[in-house]
Amino acid sequence: MDGVELQILWSNLIGIVSEQARALQRIAFSPIVREAGDLANGLFDERARMVAQAVTGTPGHINSLAAAARNLLGEIDVADLQPGDVLITNDPWMSAGHFFDITVLSPIFRGERLIGYAGSTIHHTDIGGYGIGSGARDIHEEGLWIPVLKLYEAGVPNHTLFEVIKRNTREPKAVLGDLGAQVSSGMIASERLNALCDRYGLDDISALSDEIIARSEAAMRDSIRQLAAGTYRGSTAFDVPGGQTIELKTAVTVDAEAGEITIDFAGSSGPSPSGINVVPAYSHAYATFAVLSTLCPELPNNAGSLAPIRLALPESCIVNARYPSPVNARHVVGMYVPFPILKALAQVVPDRVVAEGSGAVWTVQVQGRDAEGRPFTSSMFNYSGGMGARAGKPGLSAICYPTGVSAVPVEVLEASYPIAFTCKELERGTGGHGRQPGGDGQRIGYRMRTGSPWLLNTIPSRVTTAAEGLAGGGAGAPGRFEINGKAVSDTRKMEMQPDDEVLMVTPGGGGFGA
Amino acid sequence: MTRYSLAIDIGGTFTDAVLLASDGRSFVDKTLTTHENLLDGFFRGVELVLGRAGVGPQAVDDVVVHATTVVTNALIERKGPPAGLILTQGFRDILYIRDEHRYDMYDPQIEFAEPLIPAERTFTLDERTWADGTTAKPVCREAVEAIIRQCRAAGIVSVAVCLLNAYRNGANEEAVRTVFAEQAPEIYVSLSSEIAPQMREYLRASTVAINAYSVPITRPYLTALIAELGRRGFAQQPLIMLSNGGVIGAERAGRMPVRMIESGPAAGALVACYFSRLFGIPDLISFDMGGTTAKACLIQGHEPLVTGSFEVDRRYRFKPGSGMPITVPSIDMIEIGAGGGSIAWVDSLGLLKTGPESAGSDPGPVCYGRGGTRPCVTDADVVLGILDPEQFLGGDMKLDAAGAREALAGLGARLGLSAEKAAWGVFEVVCEQMAAATRTHATDRGIDYRGLPLLAFGGAGPVHACMVAELVDGSTIIYPPLASVLSAFGTLVTPAQIDLVRSLVAPLEGLDWVAVDATLQSMIDESSQALKEAGIREADLRFSFSIDLRYLGQQSELRIDLPGDPREQRESGAIRRLFEQEYEQQYGLKLDDMAIEVVNWRVTGSGGEPQRAAAASGTRAVAAAPAVRPVWIRGEARPVPVYKRGELAAGQRIEGPAIVEERETTIFILEGWTLSLHETGSLVAVRAKESK
Repeated sequence: MDGVELQILWSNLIGIVSEQARALQRIAFSPIVREAGDLANGLFDERARMVAQAVTGTPGHINSLAAAARNLLGEIDVADLQPGDVLITNDPWMSAGHFFDITVLSPIFRGERLIGYAGSTIHHTDIGGYGIGSGARDIHEEGLWIPVLKLYEAGVPNHTLFEVIKRNTREPKAVLGDLGAQVSSGMIASERLNALCDRYGLDDISALSDEIIARSEAAMRDSIRQLAAGTYRGSTAFDVPGGQTIELKTAVTVDAEAGEITIDFAGSSGPSPSGINVVPAYSHAYATFAVLSTLCPELPNNAGSLAPIRLALPESCIVNARYPSPVNARHVVGMYVPFPILKALAQVVPDRVVAEGSGAVWTVQVQGRDAEGRPFTSSMFNYSGGMGARAGKPGLSAICYPTGVSAVPVEVLEASYPIAFTCKELERGTGGHGRQPGGDGQRIGYRMRTGSPWLLNTIPSRVTTAAEGLAGGGAGAPGRFEINGKAVSDTRKMEMQPDDEVLMVTPGGGGFGA
Repeated sequence: MTRYSLAIDIGGTFTDAVLLASDGRSFVDKTLTTHENLLDGFFRGVELVLGRAGVGPQAVDDVVVHATTVVTNALIERKGPPAGLILTQGFRDILYIRDEHRYDMYDPQIEFAEPLIPAERTFTLDERTWADGTTAKPVCREAVEAIIRQCRAAGIVSVAVCLLNAYRNGANEEAVRTVFAEQAPEIYVSLSSEIAPQMREYLRASTVAINAYSVPITRPYLTALIAELGRRGFAQQPLIMLSNGGVIGAERAGRMPVRMIESGPAAGALVACYFSRLFGIPDLISFDMGGTTAKACLIQGHEPLVTGSFEVDRRYRFKPGSGMPITVPSIDMIEIGAGGGSIAWVDSLGLLKTGPESAGSDPGPVCYGRGGTRPCVTDADVVLGILDPEQFLGGDMKLDAAGAREALAGLGARLGLSAEKAAWGVFEVVCEQMAAATRTHATDRGIDYRGLPLLAFGGAGPVHACMVAELVDGSTIIYPPLASVLSAFGTLVTPAQIDLVRSLVAPLEGLDWVAVDATLQSMIDESSQALKEAGIREADLRFSFSIDLRYLGQQSELRIDLPGDPREQRESGAIRRLFEQEYEQQYGLKLDDMAIEVVNWRVTGSGGEPQRAAAASGTRAVAAAPAVRPVWIRGEARPVPVYKRGELAAGQRIEGPAIVEERETTIFILEGWTLSLHETGSLVAVRAKESK
């Protein structure tokens, strides 16, 4: 395959997944998917290798989805799949690390022959159990566990499963509506992939996929080979709800001959009793993001570009969650995973890394009754702090990094739930000083328009341990979480009074250079 | 008695002028755009076409229509006078925080443009409206007066007002304007509830900020235009082309410049509608390829698709998300960073890429001989033999074929291909890029693009259209006359039109038809007023209605065009069925248990069809014998006949591969296609069924 033909077919594949993702986002029901873009879409070959991903979504979802297809298919007899089948699971260890993320995988047939899969993972509004937050004591308290099952069999919906989901979630319409959007997006991908094969006279995509994966892997290895061999260390510390301080330590070993990077998390904090433990696939997702975005941001993400990056996870470690540890709020730790790696890479490619930033986005979910007494459960929404500075540019203020989600507009939330915002502005001066300053955090205030008590599930982090600067840059300001003007440190599922007002000030990013 | 209408289209490089006589004669010319004062170029163009026709300004008794890039220039150059922004207290950084999203997940170096109105000129008011439209806290007059004092001190001449939830109830915004009107009538006030009454504070604030920033530029510009036309003896008030493809009076346009941004490209799409009617083909793809970008637009039922939002001034590598969003109705254009000047390169994976980097017109492609060294799409076209280096722009500009070949040989060396094979690769990749964008755009909107005819224009459009047509499974291509000034022509064949949209969120079941009636009536009244200002007679007014619906809980709507005035039937059930049909067609399923929600009502007012058209240019009775030159097709040199467009005879059929040259462009058809001259003066290429 020459560079012309491959370019044409490859851009077609990326076009198909992007179309799949846009359709999903357009018809999704919950603000978290349609406004925040908390989703991932991928296209897989018949061997379940990811060949293309949509350019939207979050690293956590995308890179977890990359492994999910293989995990799902390991649970079933692939030979039994037939046109119209749709597979589903929310098993944290098989897909994206907590029950809220449901992965749907649709086999794509060309006539009778299986030629690939279209997959999507989205964060659903509710999955029963504890709800958003880290307070459950084991995984079973966290909600409904859907093993690998067929959601559709030969085009016929699995009514038993639909009924189970309906009865076990607080917002069944949003969940079933969003599942419908996932199924639709798989149908669209299947149709488009067949049209591509028609147009270019292909029987399947195996040769194309081999070529894409081989070239991507070679390019990734080449970019690693340009680095100075050695082992580089970095660590990061941050506080989580309840006051615990988590430390992540990495030893990043560059094998410049093989073109491989191994990231060892030895010395990092052990498992947590609260739901912030991270499954290996999700740790891998954010670790590979750190390497890819630093070394070759232009390289399309697929099985090949991910292959040369390996993780070594200690047996008993917060980033190597084991059953039955709770994992609900795994993003709180997962979104800090890139920082120790970036600090290690700063010793090799100082001009390309980003200083420590605010880290995990602060997620919020509210539940209660509106002024007329009607119950509501909001979907999760999130707010970001400042990004760390770059070597040649300041950090961006109030922007999601390392995740790729968006904030839901104030007007959308106020129209969807009985919430009233009192402020949402930059908190200027919270970014660290330096030759390049860190990005600023923001202040967000809200209360509920209700006469009855309500529940707040929120997960602030970095309220005592600031984002460090890099190369002599100053630290960012830590965040603040207050209710009625008083600082609150343990924010796990709080019962609130009707007039209570919440203020969240997200942390600033670290500066770069003295 | 011959009547004349005049159109001037000011684009980034050229200002095009068209004078159309009611007997069908047309007079066209081009002049360079004069960026320091756009009106210089405007009147130079006017003088050129009047001179060609041998008539004076008084002869122009039909419309004078104007499309202009003035607003886009103002936004990119940012040399306008300071504008202010008034927001709800506690929310002063809406333009800085945006939606908190990084538009490229993997690139840590991304950048955003500085807000058009900076923090030091942003003011806040302690006021509040809830999402259901109730006013929780009215605007305090003294607070507005304090802002007025600060505006004056800062030399602010125009302010944007965007208060939370004003899309639902604009009363607090109107209260702000009332105080300004009393105390500071010299400061122009733009309200978000009027300019873009839609949910989502960042999009609305961005849109109204752009409007407020542009008003101090467009109002004097249009006032000067009106005055100068009058001084020169033109009897008509000018009409201004809007992004949605309608035209309105210059005075009203001056107050809503945000609606003029895409006026030039919109005119191009309207030409496609004109030809779709002329040929009796309801659905087609307009394909306009120039020096830096290609633009495509889907025409459905003789009408262009219209979108609710778009983006201007993408700052970082042309990436979506790096510009400023605007939510006003606009022709739904696919803009692709692929033109004759797009640079071809080989990436780290050994893949051949074209664009988005462009050599523009300076230095331009290597073959321009102005110092360009990197191979461009036009260089590939020269190496392939599709373009004749001696005949570019009718021979006025000689191309450096040897330089082009050397550049392509260098590119080929990196791919292990000869210069000619690399050139064909560039040709294929750029065509596929445009085809892929068209496919995604069409399928995104639930439109089956396969088999749709293409209308090809712009300097590079006719060169590449045949290949693009093959890649979108098309079998007909129309190459219209006047291709180089076609957009200006488009403004003259366009009916006056205005699109209005109002949010009125409510469940479809049990709809409050009294409220709907009042909303629709106010929209009809507003559009009637605008159309009458544009010179439309009461009897010619036409209104069509559409409605944006979604399942309760979704946030993206589907637009459903209603067959008539919905107030006559008041039938929610029929509307539900239309929605379900459309939803199923786009997404493969419908959701029976879900309630449906009305989000927006839309009214399009228009003023009947203009009766202007250009006649066919004269053709010869006898076909001239073609020249022949070798052209590299799919890696093989083949002798290809080369015709002159002006020398084609009526009824003559040309089998592909073939080339037809005209002054500003070249038509290239592949094997399996047949080209003939249509009675309208267009050339039409048709693909034989059996060929791939």
